[in-house]
Amino acid sequence: MPAPPKAIGLNQGWLNWGRHLFASPGHALLSLLILGGLAKIVPSLIEWGLVKAVWSGGPADCRAAGGACWAFVGEKFRLILFGIYPHDQQWRPSLAIVLFLAMLLVSANPKFWRRWLFWMWASGLVVSALLMWGGIAGLPFVADDRWGGLPLTLILSTAGIVLSFPLALLLALGRRSSLPALRSLSIAYIEFWRGVPLVSVLFMASVMFPLFLPEGISIDKLLRAQLGIILFTAAYLAENVRGGLQAIPVGQSDAADALGLGYWQKMRLVILPQALRLVIPPLVGQFITTFKDTSLVVVIGLYDLLSSTKMALSDPQWRAFYVEGYLVAAAIYFLFTHLMSRYSRYLERRLASSGGSV
Amino acid sequence: MSENSVTAQGDLAISLQGVNKWYGAHHVLRDVSLNVRKGERVVIAGPSGSGKSTLIRCINRLEEHQAGSITVNGTTLTGDHASTEAVRQMVGMVFQQFNLFPHLSVLENLTLAPCWVKKMGRAAANELALSYLERVKIAEKAHKFPAQLSGGQQQRVAIARSLCMRPSIMLFDEPTSALDPEMIKEVLDVMVELAADGMTMVCVTHEMGFARKVADTVVFMDEGQIIEKNAPAELFGNPKEERTRKFLSQIIGHG
Repeated sequence: MPAPPKAIGLNQGWLNWGRHLFASPGHALLSLLILGGLAKIVPSLIEWGLVKAVWSGGPADCRAAGGACWAFVGEKFRLILFGIYPHDQQWRPSLAIVLFLAMLLVSANPKFWRRWLFWMWASGLVVSALLMWGGIAGLPFVADDRWGGLPLTLILSTAGIVLSFPLALLLALGRRSSLPALRSLSIAYIEFWRGVPLVSVLFMASVMFPLFLPEGISIDKLLRAQLGIILFTAAYLAENVRGGLQAIPVGQSDAADALGLGYWQKMRLVILPQALRLVIPPLVGQFITTFKDTSLVVVIGLYDLLSSTKMALSDPQWRAFYVEGYLVAAAIYFLFTHLMSRYSRYLERRLASSGGSV
Repeated sequence: MSENSVTAQGDLAISLQGVNKWYGAHHVLRDVSLNVRKGERVVIAGPSGSGKSTLIRCINRLEEHQAGSITVNGTTLTGDHASTEAVRQMVGMVFQQFNLFPHLSVLENLTLAPCWVKKMGRAAANELALSYLERVKIAEKAHKFPAQLSGGQQQRVAIARSLCMRPSIMLFDEPTSALDPEMIKEVLDVMVELAADGMTMVCVTHEMGFARKVADTVVFMDEGQIIEKNAPAELFGNPKEERTRKFLSQIIGHG
């Protein structure tokens, strides 16, 4: 085989593009259509988003200019980011966001997949809950119906993913268990939660669930929604994990049994490390879905990132600039989900190149 | 069979009495009785589907038998955890498909069970693992992953992995059937050495040369039954049963 070219120069890169775009008459026609479309859209987008855009000022300035009204975002970004969390206390959700991002960053590195990671998350969740609620250490108490924006989205989705994952592992193992009772129970659980839409789960958590509690006991609405998200997500994750478990040859289990490993040792040391590696793409897909689905908590009156954006738009003076508002919210969602899928690809490569040893 | 009277119970490594097993309606093991003395080398031969793999998989309870009794070094497999666990610690097993753990390095494959089952320290386990890797002549591959080794090398690692648990009995389930011809010898050599060291061995194999050289006893199975059992010279030279004769002529014809 001829040696691959050492580096593709800029010119050659363009040449390759040309070859791909105009490989055949059909290709050429499609390429021309697309390029023509782009030529029409992009300049007007730039004109709207940059040239005629208003970066500071009031609604009147925006209307006069006719471009994008980024001044709206400047005016309302704290409302979009933090909802109606008390203004002078917003350093607390900011700190919580930083804490979450730091923990996610640490967990992203397979080198740190050790037992202490569990304790880091446990204490991290407690610390951020204390930060958000307050009521101790001189922090004024902030009821969670005033939480909102990005911190709420991050808390609901991260806690949803982190806490549903262990449950999902148990369910997936249960569904493949040789004990009939355990197997039926796992199947019933998974099929039930997959059979109902998340919106109705959240309604149930918000409206129905309190009816089942004994009198005098009430569980906070946020916690109920969080619980609903965890139980719901676990069912989907469990099916992803099961897919991985089924792909592992039965000989792996035989070898572990023959060596005298117990059931849990076998699963933890031999089967799951291989099974989970196979299902990284669907797992991350489910994480992304969960992240975006937290916006449904609006139906029970919690103000996640999307709802706080809507709230910012309810100001009659700025109501006209909803495109800008939603673009910002979309950009934030995209940033997080894009990072997740990039991470998924990184992880697959990394685990493949190390032979999977982590 | 009335072998109990011939051999004192204390010398028995494995004792199978009237073992029966069904897969649904399919009767895979029919009244199998077999005693294996400590240090004895038994080769089980027979056509595919004759139940020989199922039989040795019952000995460390990878398969459950439904009737009869299986006793290993005095521990009877009753189905409770304790007896299964005890037997699996005494019995090592080597599989046709090697079944190394692909996500672990060769060294980690060997140390996994000593560290987690026997709670051995990391350093001691590594030392033990390296000594067995040297015995199967593959110590230089300690830090490779299974996928980087040839089939013969993988099977030798699998043997070393079993030995790291210091079993007193080794089961081999067609250990060379998945190997390319040029790799069969390197695995058989390791098995011959193991036999020379006095290990109790039960091998399901089609390698009749190995059986002749190493086995004390050859067992011929067909349709879930033991048809004939004898010293290799007798069984190969003077088979008593028609089915044995037919089988032998077939594998020697293809040998």
